[in-house]
Amino acid sequence: MRLLQNLRRTATICACIAGTLTFAETATAQAPDMPGQALAFDRAKGNCLTCHDIKGGDAPGNVGPPLADMKKRFPDRNALAAIVFDETRRNPLSVMPPFGRNLILTREEIESVVDFLYTR
Amino acid sequence: MARVLSLCMMALLAALAGHAAAADAIDPGSDFKAFRDYFIKRFPDVPLDDFVNGPYSMDADLRKQWQAIDDFPPYDFAVDRGKAMFATPFKSGKSYGDCFENKGIGIRQNYPYFDEATGKVVTLELALNRCREANGEEPYSYVKDEMASLTAYMAFTSRGKRFDIRIPSDPRALAAYQKGEEYFYTRRGQLNFSCASCHVQNPGNHIRTEVLAPALGILAAMPIYRSEWNGMGTISRRFVTCNSQVRGVPLAPQDELYRDVEYFLTYMGNGLPVAGPGARP
Amino acid sequence: MMMRRLVAITAVTLATATAALAAASEADFKVALAAAEAAEKDAGALKNRWTVTEDALAAARKAAAAGDFDAAVAGAKKAEALAQASIAQAKEQQEAWRDAVVR
Repeated sequence: MRLLQNLRRTATICACIAGTLTFAETATAQAPDMPGQALAFDRAKGNCLTCHDIKGGDAPGNVGPPLADMKKRFPDRNALAAIVFDETRRNPLSVMPPFGRNLILTREEIESVVDFLYTR
Repeated sequence: MARVLSLCMMALLAALAGHAAAADAIDPGSDFKAFRDYFIKRFPDVPLDDFVNGPYSMDADLRKQWQAIDDFPPYDFAVDRGKAMFATPFKSGKSYGDCFENKGIGIRQNYPYFDEATGKVVTLELALNRCREANGEEPYSYVKDEMASLTAYMAFTSRGKRFDIRIPSDPRALAAYQKGEEYFYTRRGQLNFSCASCHVQNPGNHIRTEVLAPALGILAAMPIYRSEWNGMGTISRRFVTCNSQVRGVPLAPQDELYRDVEYFLTYMGNGLPVAGPGARP
Repeated sequence: MMMRRLVAITAVTLATATAALAAASEADFKVALAAAEAAEKDAGALKNRWTVTEDALAAARKAAAAGDFDAAVAGAKKAEALAQASIAQAKEQQEAWRDAVVR
């Protein structure tokens, strides 16, 4: 009887701790408000269509290469994320905005965009 | 012995000074040639004079659309208005023509110029407002229709004349030229673009549906009637909007630095014909 | 014994989490805003203010005026980060622009 009471109490406390920790964590690292495709296509966010032809997008620009076969072309996820973060590190004269360095997209948003690009 | 040593010292100092001067030397003539050659090489099928037509020189479809509206150019009203303004005296009794050589007719190709008296670049827009103020009138906004009408008329009377921007061998003029050059190539704004990012690295390419104009002669057709703006745009307006488009806070219209940019950029287009006022999508 | 330890752990966790979530005060906002404005002033001296920094500052001030100091402090910190990024860009470009010149 006493054991059951203790167990129940422990379980409640553990749940509280877990809940609090989750809450505290999300207060800093924010999950993106928009899914990857929306982030990529939105003019105020990735705005990728301005320069890149991407399946599912209309009236794309051609300043950058078309974004297709992405999983095959960029098997290393981190390499692709690095390009979105700051392509000038690879190519100092690149005209691609440094979405990470210049705080255009958060790290989480960049990951979400990479997830989306991997579907193209 | 002492004389030999001092001669050697002088020679050494002269050599060092010469080297330092060469390293810092601003050579607009050399820059001009390199700039022009770059565009000629990149677009071998574009006749040199055609660069002043901006995106139309880059894209055949766009050119057809432009030619279709050229019978009734959208800037006509601005030219007419500018002509009327030129014909209307100020409170002082004088008029715009009195502030310029040749009564302000056929002189667009000489602007901007370096004013050795003040040590600053004078653009056409600045000169027009100075004319107004010298005659007791309020200056016009640099980004609105009155200034656009005046510069449209002055460009129209100068059509076909070849741009002839002078850079005197005055260190202040060379410094102004170089400040303009630096601004042009400096990345700015959250989007990290310089003027060159679009107009040197990507002329003829599309951003969404817009075709980017080449930097060579890019000011030759100003002011422009821009369909996207449903109205006229002066050089000042264009500089300001380009800055905010890359998410950079613009300078004030006709800021000294903007005048230096106009000086550099117009000089790079020397020899090309005045094509203003122009029309753009 | 185990119970007491468990309570201690919970207390520490809750305290830490609460500290991270403690409501910001107007004083906190003033400090954060001052830092953001100072950085933006430096960016201005370099002629490289960003429009988004100005927007973030405005949003932070608006939130403070409405009494939402959590949002106001977050906004001011975001503005400061943007201002610092614009300063870094201007400083790097002071020499880097030369690499782009057509020669």
